[in-house]
Amino acid sequence: MWQPSSHPVVRQDPLLGNTALGGPGQLPLPRSDTLAKSLSFSGSWGSRSPARGWGEVTHSCQRSVKLRIWGVWEATRVLEARIKQLQADNISEVTVDRVDVAPLRKSSFRCPAPSPAGKEPAAKVREGGVSSSGAPSQPSRWVEKLKKEKWIKHKRQLKLEQKFSAAASPPGAERTSLPVLEQGKAAGAKESQGQAKASNKYGSIQLIIMSYLESCLFLHQPERAQQCLMFYHRSHARRKLLGIKMYDILMHGWANKGSLNQIGRLFVMLEEAGLKPNLSCYAAALECMGRAGAPAAVIKRCVQQLEEDGFNLDELFRDAVYEDDKREMVLKAIRIIEPNFQPLSQPHPEICTSPLLRDFYSKEKPVSYPKLDFSVCELRERFRQQLEMEASNTVTISSVESAKPLTEQARELLTALRSEWRKSLLQTLRESKIHMANRRSWQMSLYPYLCLLEDKEYVDIMLQSLSSLPPQGESLLVLAKELGTKIYNKYAVRKKSRSRLMEKIQKVYDEYVQLLAKDAQLDSYLPREYWEKLEASSGSSLLSKDCTWPHILMVQLGTHMVELLVQVIKVQSNILNPSLEAKLIPVLYHVYSFRSSRQIGFIKPHPILTQILSSAAETTLTFDSFVMPMLCPPVPWTSPHFGAYILLPTKLMRCVEGAIQHQLLLEECPRSNLHSVLDALNQLGNCPWKINQPVLDIIISIFNAKGSEKLSIPPPLSEAPKPSVALHLGPGTPWSKSSLKRELTQCRKKMVEMYSLRMDSLYKLSIANHMRDKVFWFPHNMDFRGRTYPCPPYFNHLGSDVTRAILLFAEGKPLGAHGLDWLKIHLINLTGLKKKNSLRERLAYANEIMEEILDSADNPLTGRKWWMDTDEPWQALACCMEIAKALRSPDPTAYISHFPIHQDGSCNGLQHYAALGRDVIGATSVNLMPCDSPQDVYSGVARQVEEFRKQDAQEGMKVAQVLDGFISRKVVKQTVMTVVYGVTRYGGRLQIEKRLKEIDGFPQEYIWEASHYLVQQVFNSLKEMFSGTREIQIWLTESARLIAKSGNTVEWVTPLGLPIVQPYHRAKSTVVSAKGSRGTGSLKPDTVKQKNAFPPNFIHSLDSTHMMLTALHCHRRGLTFVSVHDCYWTHALTVDVMNQVCREQFVELHSQPILQDLSRFMLQKYCTHSL
Amino acid sequence: GRFVYLPRPPVLLIAALTGCGPGVLTRTLLNAGARVVALESDRAFLPELQSLENSLHGQLEVVHCDFFRLDPLGCGSMKPPAMYSEKLFENLGILAVPWTADVPVKIIGFLPQKKERNTLWKFIFVMYERSSIYRYGRIELNMFVSEKEYKVLTAKPGELRSYQALSVLLQTACEIQLLHMLLPNDHLCLVRMTPRRHLFTGGMTTTNSSTFIHMVKQCLAKRKSKLIDRLNSWSPDSGSKILRELEIPENIITGNLYPEEYRRLFEAMEHSKEFSQSWLYDEVLENNRNINF
Repeated sequence: MWQPSSHPVVRQDPLLGNTALGGPGQLPLPRSDTLAKSLSFSGSWGSRSPARGWGEVTHSCQRSVKLRIWGVWEATRVLEARIKQLQADNISEVTVDRVDVAPLRKSSFRCPAPSPAGKEPAAKVREGGVSSSGAPSQPSRWVEKLKKEKWIKHKRQLKLEQKFSAAASPPGAERTSLPVLEQGKAAGAKESQGQAKASNKYGSIQLIIMSYLESCLFLHQPERAQQCLMFYHRSHARRKLLGIKMYDILMHGWANKGSLNQIGRLFVMLEEAGLKPNLSCYAAALECMGRAGAPAAVIKRCVQQLEEDGFNLDELFRDAVYEDDKREMVLKAIRIIEPNFQPLSQPHPEICTSPLLRDFYSKEKPVSYPKLDFSVCELRERFRQQLEMEASNTVTISSVESAKPLTEQARELLTALRSEWRKSLLQTLRESKIHMANRRSWQMSLYPYLCLLEDKEYVDIMLQSLSSLPPQGESLLVLAKELGTKIYNKYAVRKKSRSRLMEKIQKVYDEYVQLLAKDAQLDSYLPREYWEKLEASSGSSLLSKDCTWPHILMVQLGTHMVELLVQVIKVQSNILNPSLEAKLIPVLYHVYSFRSSRQIGFIKPHPILTQILSSAAETTLTFDSFVMPMLCPPVPWTSPHFGAYILLPTKLMRCVEGAIQHQLLLEECPRSNLHSVLDALNQLGNCPWKINQPVLDIIISIFNAKGSEKLSIPPPLSEAPKPSVALHLGPGTPWSKSSLKRELTQCRKKMVEMYSLRMDSLYKLSIANHMRDKVFWFPHNMDFRGRTYPCPPYFNHLGSDVTRAILLFAEGKPLGAHGLDWLKIHLINLTGLKKKNSLRERLAYANEIMEEILDSADNPLTGRKWWMDTDEPWQALACCMEIAKALRSPDPTAYISHFPIHQDGSCNGLQHYAALGRDVIGATSVNLMPCDSPQDVYSGVARQVEEFRKQDAQEGMKVAQVLDGFISRKVVKQTVMTVVYGVTRYGGRLQIEKRLKEIDGFPQEYIWEASHYLVQQVFNSLKEMFSGTREIQIWLTESARLIAKSGNTVEWVTPLGLPIVQPYHRAKSTVVSAKGSRGTGSLKPDTVKQKNAFPPNFIHSLDSTHMMLTALHCHRRGLTFVSVHDCYWTHALTVDVMNQVCREQFVELHSQPILQDLSRFMLQKYCTHSL
Repeated sequence: GRFVYLPRPPVLLIAALTGCGPGVLTRTLLNAGARVVALESDRAFLPELQSLENSLHGQLEVVHCDFFRLDPLGCGSMKPPAMYSEKLFENLGILAVPWTADVPVKIIGFLPQKKERNTLWKFIFVMYERSSIYRYGRIELNMFVSEKEYKVLTAKPGELRSYQALSVLLQTACEIQLLHMLLPNDHLCLVRMTPRRHLFTGGMTTTNSSTFIHMVKQCLAKRKSKLIDRLNSWSPDSGSKILRELEIPENIITGNLYPEEYRRLFEAMEHSKEFSQSWLYDEVLENNRNINF
């Protein structure tokens, strides 16, 4: 059956359409088509639809017969010409793809080489002339056709060029047409350098197709998936959108069904598309053969083909990802031909290449890592709780808001309405599905996505979002995204539980906790290392290679849901006031909000809904389960696809909506490069937390009283300002009317603000209250610069003063010799006092005011309330209480403290700049140099500004004179802090303006002028103090500008090896509709943003590197360590060690040739072509 | 440079040929014997203008002022070229006249190219509010605008691409007249926008006009949507009644309604009990004028 020699003509069949995609100038050897054909033939045994398989073969036979008639060498000649032509076509077509935005669609303005097709084949003929006696002198039909095509093309070209020059001539049109030209040129040039970016290959349209295929397969509808793939495959233009991954997805779908002939067909299609089958395709074929029990000959041929393609069987088991029983099936197939085959299951040990961590990973001596204070059993039990929570997708917890009386009636009403809405939503959803299912089109629709879950679940999701809709409405986009994400999460969880992945994760986790638990001996592995080891020995990969749905798909699906809600949800207009006339009215409305020149679609609820909801005052809150902290240590990150929650999909790198380049970059980079980053994230996530109950209780009591703006506890809406009544009574002069209106608007605005603040607090406090007796974990991920964040969005240690104050380390450590001193110093740091004093002086001050501290701890709300007047009152209060407890314990050094002590970087961005530029003055001012007392860069700048001001005042500058006595640290602080992060003069002026407005007695009429003047002086002062910084900033900015101008996005690699790309592109608005939308192509980088954001992003990537280094080394030394960017937390006992590690690592980091490395990287990445 | 010109019906001329000094336009006006006030925003051009001013004995007056940044939203002391219109007009001795009186001042100038649209919106807001320069009466604007913007200004119902809220609002408020197409290459149109004498008769007042503006904006946000759906969402079931009263076809899309019809619709809605009591109408159509100019 696998005898290619019996089909000699097939070998000659070069599949005309795609030869150009093969190697230049030569006929590509039809590699896999033999396999494909044989697979098609093999349809005759044990297959369902032999007719299709045969059809394929007959077709190619006909074509080859045709070829034979015209003579082999003649065909070659024509084909070669055709290749040339297609190549030319190809380039210009690609070019045109990039200029999609321009009105000149589908046409090329790049002139291909003038008629090369005519001459070169002739030369070839002579070369190949040995084989045939004489070339036929009259041109064949093929040649004629070719010429004609060329001519038409040429004509089109001319026409276009004319049009183009005509369009360019009137200067008025120049604005639009010129950039297009440049863009085309740039794109064309880039393409010819062969730099087809992978990100273009799998852009969002590709992700949509992949998601669609996967969803169809999830529904066991490979036919539907096949139709979709065929829809794209059939047309030449659409086929270009497909990549190997799409075919691969479908192959696995058919493999699962054991339809070998379908897989054969797909191999044919791959060949047609000019794509090379990858390892995963072969895995699918073999799996299918294993499942269908294919004869040895077929399998042998397949393996042979695999090897011809440069793969081997070991790779098949090492690099491919298997779900379910796929691995066993492949093994089964291989053992038919090689009964003794045993895959090598050695996880290849890759060593981190970063010089910074070579020692850390080399582990010459056995190392010991800290354990958690839990037993194996406890951790396993916790895992089960977490799994259960994630599997149920939502968590309902009780709200901390005190219940209002008399809500029975309203609640009944709400229940009745909800069940009514549920019924009608269910019906309409079903109708819409039937409607969609009946539409005859091979194109993608939303239909499969509406079948992934039970109808009821969609309705639940919709009703849930209805209940949480804020009274002022929500932007359509946000709402749709939220709904779409909920559906996606639910589907992802369901998929995992169905594929038995859940059981496997559980098995691995049960083993994994041996590493963490105090009662297990296992040690000297990092969490990731041990998990990888367990996973490898378990035989199957826990990774799922499914693609995450693109942003646009979630929005589309969500929009469909919103549309249903708007159409279906109705209420009687007199439901709250029966005296009115009864009318069935919609609850949700589409409105537009206008911001600047943009219009934004909004969904607004009828006030009746808001009123019902608020009077029902439900005492529970429902959250998605990812909102809650985890109940067990997070699953360690082992790859960009796997980690954090058990079932919920989480991104390793957060990204702006729709950006996929980060994920691609992470996938492409060598896995060992990510090890240190993953390990740092795992370490941050493994820190257990608990609630500081006394502080939480005080906060909740204030929250349920009237709130307190001073203590940042948002007051309830009942405290909102009401429009003054006097104006209502006014006689209605136009003036009073319009000012009334203005006041109303102001009140409404204030309400909206208050509502969102209040809800945010309610969520945080309710979650904290729910966790009050539990120990919990915050899984971490990072942003595109490597800055780490806890995943749960509302309640986490990155939050405000209030949330930080209620968090404690679950683990306690004795204070030790210096712990109490650190507690006291920490308290003074939280107050914001004594900034200029040394630590010793701060400690002395704390002792001085000990009476106040103890009073605050003992009588927080009734005493002298010293804590309330500090910078961070709630954390200060918590600290006061801790100090009191420690002092009163019999032996303070043995007192077990759970309290996190913070060590804050002093203007961390400037520290990195100063270190990079080896700026001595700058470094001193940000405490990088030893000094007697802490230096304060803000005061330094303020001093410098004041000096400039004095000079100007003497020279008679009015504004400098006015500012006399107003320049303080506070005025310049924010601007200095943010200048490193790229604040512009414009933004800086606004910041200073805000500060000046706060100063009583500053003449308000000078505010604009003064802030304008001050921001200039701040910039000048910084220039004076940080000379190296300035130069580095300029170099970074200029490099980024040039890179962006050349049509690239700025990329770099952190010293730890984390690849980074700036996701800023020119915004291209897409109109979202439920019916379907057009994918966005590759986007042009936004030069301004790329340029302005590069210096701060680069610095952020350095501070995150420093943090990760510190985290890893602290872990090595047995410390509890977490971070809020440049603020590091640990126990009082270990502050000294942490500080030491922090300093060592900072020095270590800056001993690296960071800027040289960056320069080398950029030269290599962006400049090699021109050199 | 921007010029103000005050002859019998006084004319404010803003000939913003920045970079060319006093342009041809100014010369022409001066030669025609008009009294011109030059509003110059660029300090660099002031000396040249001032020397011209001195040589003309009162026919030309030069003010350092950026006309398009009159009455900024901020408060406090204003430094030229930013300025309050009140101060400018006071200094020039221009007195307010009733809306129905003749045009008190004419203004000629170039709309700033980069923010044509925003500037036009600003004029619309102040015109319907009768604030800023329009406190002094029906100021006539003669502006050079791009052809693209001109098409929007004068778009007719049914031209769904260019018929926008801006078109309806401006056509309702002004008579729009194309005076001149400048330089075929530039495609600049000199457009005269004279506020209508009858703008504030009938139902329209300076107080409710902001509702009108927002009604039009909401309607024309999607020009292919049905008018009746919009109306019904503001006041359920009232749409067909009001359309019948006004003899407007029920199935009309918002992009097919004439500016006059929008005005009549608005007036009818203001008088109708259903609409003026509707929550959404009130709330959505409130003037949230938070546009950054």
